[in-house]
Amino acid sequence: MIGLVVVSHSRALAQAAVELALQMVPSTKPLIAIAAGAGKGLIGTDATAVSAAIDEVASPDGVLVIMDLGSAVMSAEMALEFRSGEGEVRLSSAPFVEGLLAAVVTAASGASLDAVDREARAALGPKLEMLGDPEPPVARPPQAVAEFAVELTLVNPDGLHARPAAMMVSALAAFDAKVTVANQRTRGAPVSANSLIGLLSLGAKCGDVLRVAGSGVQATEALARATDMVNGGFGEA
Amino acid sequence: MAGGTVSLGQLEAWLARFSELMLENRSYLTELDSAIGDADHGSNMARGMTAVMAKIAADKSGVTPVSTVDALFKQVGMTLVTSVGGASGPLYGTFFLRFGSTSGAVAGLDAPGLAAALRAGLGGVLARGKAELGDKTMFDAMSPGIDAFDTELAAGADLASAAAGAYAAAAAGRDATEPLVARKGRASYLGERSAGHLDPGATSTAFLFQALAETLA
Repeated sequence: MIGLVVVSHSRALAQAAVELALQMVPSTKPLIAIAAGAGKGLIGTDATAVSAAIDEVASPDGVLVIMDLGSAVMSAEMALEFRSGEGEVRLSSAPFVEGLLAAVVTAASGASLDAVDREARAALGPKLEMLGDPEPPVARPPQAVAEFAVELTLVNPDGLHARPAAMMVSALAAFDAKVTVANQRTRGAPVSANSLIGLLSLGAKCGDVLRVAGSGVQATEALARATDMVNGGFGEA
Repeated sequence: MAGGTVSLGQLEAWLARFSELMLENRSYLTELDSAIGDADHGSNMARGMTAVMAKIAADKSGVTPVSTVDALFKQVGMTLVTSVGGASGPLYGTFFLRFGSTSGAVAGLDAPGLAAALRAGLGGVLARGKAELGDKTMFDAMSPGIDAFDTELAAGADLASAAAGAYAAAAAGRDATEPLVARKGRASYLGERSAGHLDPGATSTAFLFQALAETLA
């Protein structure tokens, strides 16, 4: 599992953002280190603290660094120059809050550094779409060749919001299967069930019918798990 | 023949004078920064340079005080990185780290050596901040200052005149930031409202050249 480093001018901001993101992963949590403030409670960033945070969560799978603004980016770049350890470290251009949340959920599912960074960077998509901004919506992965499919009615009062979507991502990551989910009401393109941002972009509400399709060795098992989760209202209906 | 040399003691004197100027102008720099930034440049630089001078003093009383340009400026750069907090930490930190690593383990610099060290520091600032001329940043003072230093040396000036020329050019570069609209850093969020104020980073950079000119005079 990759490690995550959160760089912020403010320790309080970083801690709150991490707390918010960790609400999404009830069981396995990725290693997260915070590098925030300039010591003695000052607002600011410190490249040596970023470097130490990277070492703290270093993993052969890599480390993704999520930053707030300005000197956080410069300090993180400088930290890479100080570092001598092994393993890839990548600075993500993801938005701080949304990107961190997507990164935590995706990393917890055991996804690769590439996949986590991609999800984090796409994390502004649902907000852009919701507010009708002209930016292109989240990149949708190509549809898997579905061998099996089920249609499930969403019973959660609040629809497929972030917590159940995150549960689905982490539950289905355990199966050797490619699973996609489409919202039959909106008739939008299917999205990967590995993608929190993709699932959120479905805009699925209570009563919507989801078409869950799977291919691969464990496709039927994955669909059975998805069926249990959706029918059971993700434990909150 | 152009030239002269700068000893390690003179380089320390440059840093000491820069530190004094940061302390004296702490409120002024913060006032400039409050107009277009987050109102911390003066206190950040004063704190950073105070930490640098404390580090140098502690080192001198230690068992093996630094005796080379690269070791001195590595201390300076790392201290700024850990104590400044704002973007000027990594920017000035990188300037001094590159200044030192280009100089190497020598006890002093000749004129071409000082020019090369300053040029390498400028390259570090450029790599770190990715600013261009006219973005209303410290680069707008540093780049013309170092160009002038090279031009003076090439024309046969001694170190004192070259440093004086560099200071004049850096100060002119600082003054030229006033009408500019910021395109980098916190001030860029203000857009047009950033015009009409001197850039705090260009202002502290002009003080760095003032300190050098006074030290080498």
